Amino acid sequence: MNLMLIKRQSWNIGIVLIATFLGAWQISRLPVFGSYEARTFLLGILPIALLSMGQAIIIIGGGINLAIGAESVLINCLAARFMVGKSFIACVMLTLLFLLVSILVGALTGLIISKSKIADIIVTLATSFILIGLAMYIQPSPGGGMNLTLAHLISGKGSAFLPPLITLILPLVIIWLPLYRSRTGIAMYAIGSNKDSAFLSGVNVDFTRIKLYAVGGLFAGISGIALTAITLSGSPFASISNTATLNSVAGAVLGGVALSGGVGGLTGPALAALILYFIPTILLNYGIDPAYSQIITGALTILVVLAGGLIRNRGKKK
Amino acid sequence: MNQSPILKISHLSKSYGPVIALRDANFEVLPGEIHALLGANGAGKSTLVKILTGVITGDQGVIEVSGKPITFTSPDNARKGGVAPVFQDPALIPDISIQRNLHLTGTDKSRFLKEISAMGLEVDLNKLASDIELPLLRMIDLARALSHDPDLLILDEITAALPVDMAEKVIAIMGAHKAKGKSVIFISHRLAEIEEICDRATVLRDGINVDTFDAAEGSEERIVAAMLGDKNLSNTRNLNRSNKASSEVLLKVDSLSGGKLLKSVSFQIHKGEVLGVAALEGQGQDLLFEILAGETKPHGGKIVVNGKEVTFNHPDEAIEAGISYVPGDRKTALMPQRSIRENLALTRMRGLRNWGQIKFKDEDEKVDGAIRSLEIDTRARSQVKRLSGGNQQKVTIGRWVTTGFDLLLCFDPTRGIDVGTKGQIYELIRKFADEGKSVLLFTSELREIALACDRAIVLYEGKVQANLEHKDCNEESLLNAAHGLAVKK
Repeated sequence: MNLMLIKRQSWNIGIVLIATFLGAWQISRLPVFGSYEARTFLLGILPIALLSMGQAIIIIGGGINLAIGAESVLINCLAARFMVGKSFIACVMLTLLFLLVSILVGALTGLIISKSKIADIIVTLATSFILIGLAMYIQPSPGGGMNLTLAHLISGKGSAFLPPLITLILPLVIIWLPLYRSRTGIAMYAIGSNKDSAFLSGVNVDFTRIKLYAVGGLFAGISGIALTAITLSGSPFASISNTATLNSVAGAVLGGVALSGGVGGLTGPALAALILYFIPTILLNYGIDPAYSQIITGALTILVVLAGGLIRNRGKKK
Repeated sequence: MNQSPILKISHLSKSYGPVIALRDANFEVLPGEIHALLGANGAGKSTLVKILTGVITGDQGVIEVSGKPITFTSPDNARKGGVAPVFQDPALIPDISIQRNLHLTGTDKSRFLKEISAMGLEVDLNKLASDIELPLLRMIDLARALSHDPDLLILDEITAALPVDMAEKVIAIMGAHKAKGKSVIFISHRLAEIEEICDRATVLRDGINVDTFDAAEGSEERIVAAMLGDKNLSNTRNLNRSNKASSEVLLKVDSLSGGKLLKSVSFQIHKGEVLGVAALEGQGQDLLFEILAGETKPHGGKIVVNGKEVTFNHPDEAIEAGISYVPGDRKTALMPQRSIRENLALTRMRGLRNWGQIKFKDEDEKVDGAIRSLEIDTRARSQVKRLSGGNQQKVTIGRWVTTGFDLLLCFDPTRGIDVGTKGQIYELIRKFADEGKSVLLFTSELREIALACDRAIVLYEGKVQANLEHKDCNEESLLNAAHGLAVKK
């Protein structure tokens, strides 16, 4: 029983080990490590960790969202454009409104995929162009802002590392945990694992897919709001959204989510974002060209997925 | 028995495009009855079950449950209406635990555990469904269905390839369900089970219910007769059987086993002989063909070609040894977007083994020769996917004509093909045999065995159940052997 639990968590344990190792290495290079440095870490990973979680949910359900970075950039631009110079209360209301927008954008994506029967990858590639176009329309050049009180509440200030930590963990606790335990959450795993069995078990496959993309959209929205709070501006660039999307897939896969669907959770992807952040930072400390760090990140992703796949297959064979 | 039926089906029909799966099915299940549903492959059984469980909806006809007309729109809907199915492939989600699977269908955990312990089984609810062996998984699926206390339980070939002790448990469970006044529809290829447990049996043929009777000792013959119908075999064209089969053995297979289904199969094929393989679904025939084609590795046994023992690591090695495979699914064999020419020439590329240019002139000759000798309709030659099923099948066979072979493995080559093309394909196979080549032919249509083959073997539960000479290859003997019964000579 305990052994089985360990086996099932082996991926997360492995990711924690790698992240801890890289973290210790990075900390040992720093002259001091205090709460200020901790906050810097967290701000570095917060948007991509949230995005990886959103992507992970969608991949678990058997889809993939190439527009998740664009969803995040769109919310970032909306927030920066309309929150600049507004009061705290107004900004909170706008945050809720924009999160609702992110849910709707996700749900609409899921609806198009379900009704058109076109592959996820094609629909979301197309929507990514549309969403970036919208973001550019809303915020044509980098700028805008957010009420500072709200920004500090989300991302902290100075050495206050708790706010960004809470922003990272809170969605996991109040969105993902209840969802995971609900019938809808199981249905998401079910359609990713085997659509036919899911249908025979009484799952409404199309509706579940819509919910899947809606929840993924919500995480992208939170990521966009967090990005606004950290940078205090909106940047409508396709390059940002594309990199973010690819990193979210890398984070999800590195975090133990199988691209075939039905397998994985959200803790792994959140931790994987740490690894994706540490590698370039550490190498930069040694004065190594960032291009090399990309190579190492890529190689590590392949190695981890390969090792994880081997362990899983060996468990299955018997 | 003048009770009102729990389930009544009248004039149910269903077509998939031009293919009529169910023509006019009528059928009743009484409360407290175990009703067997029988029929050969393609008789419409699975379509009927799919309609009853809400997977698909019928085109026409009425389904009444407890006297009320009803249309099931989804499996969930059917379950709530008191109809619970258990299929041969358990409907459990592989990547999540049993506990979460139960949660998904809203099954009460304590009721499920009660059902499981009543079966004398133990289940670790935290295990993933994919970590559990198939027989136990089926029992879990059955226990889950029973937890909902359905008025009508549908068991679709649940005992197929189930170990004897588990199959007995299923029989006992059906008895207990009946004792509660509930009903069961039982689909099985094991006629002995049907005699043992069922009250009545309905036989489907060509999408129509042809016979309903009390199942009792000795109803085997009536079942087989109803499944066959009055198909007059004498008016099917008999091919000239030159029987040029030589005494020389080309292929010898000795106690071959593999996968979960193939237990121990031995037979031999002579040069110039067409050997038929008959079996119901899931008796290991797929594996036999895949192993001989070098696609799957066997667990044990010997394959001897021309007196030499061989092992294949790759289909390429089987082709090298002269064994070519025409798979049952044409889509896996063809490149649907490419031309007839490319599809025919594909396997010839093996011989080139270099990066040089394809010798188009040589290729043209071979390809044209194959097209002529196979009478392939070339009007849609630019894309194979636009050809009819029959012409596609000719292309899959034709590519081996251009390449050359000693033994052709044909897996159900006439599935879904019109009668005329069927004849052409069998003539082609006969021509190969006349040229001294050998053919191993599996067909799901039993009467085609007598038409096309010199001899036949019948597989049952992964073993050779019968070895029949041509004169004994009548449908009745084949059907009996395919159901694991002894063949009357």
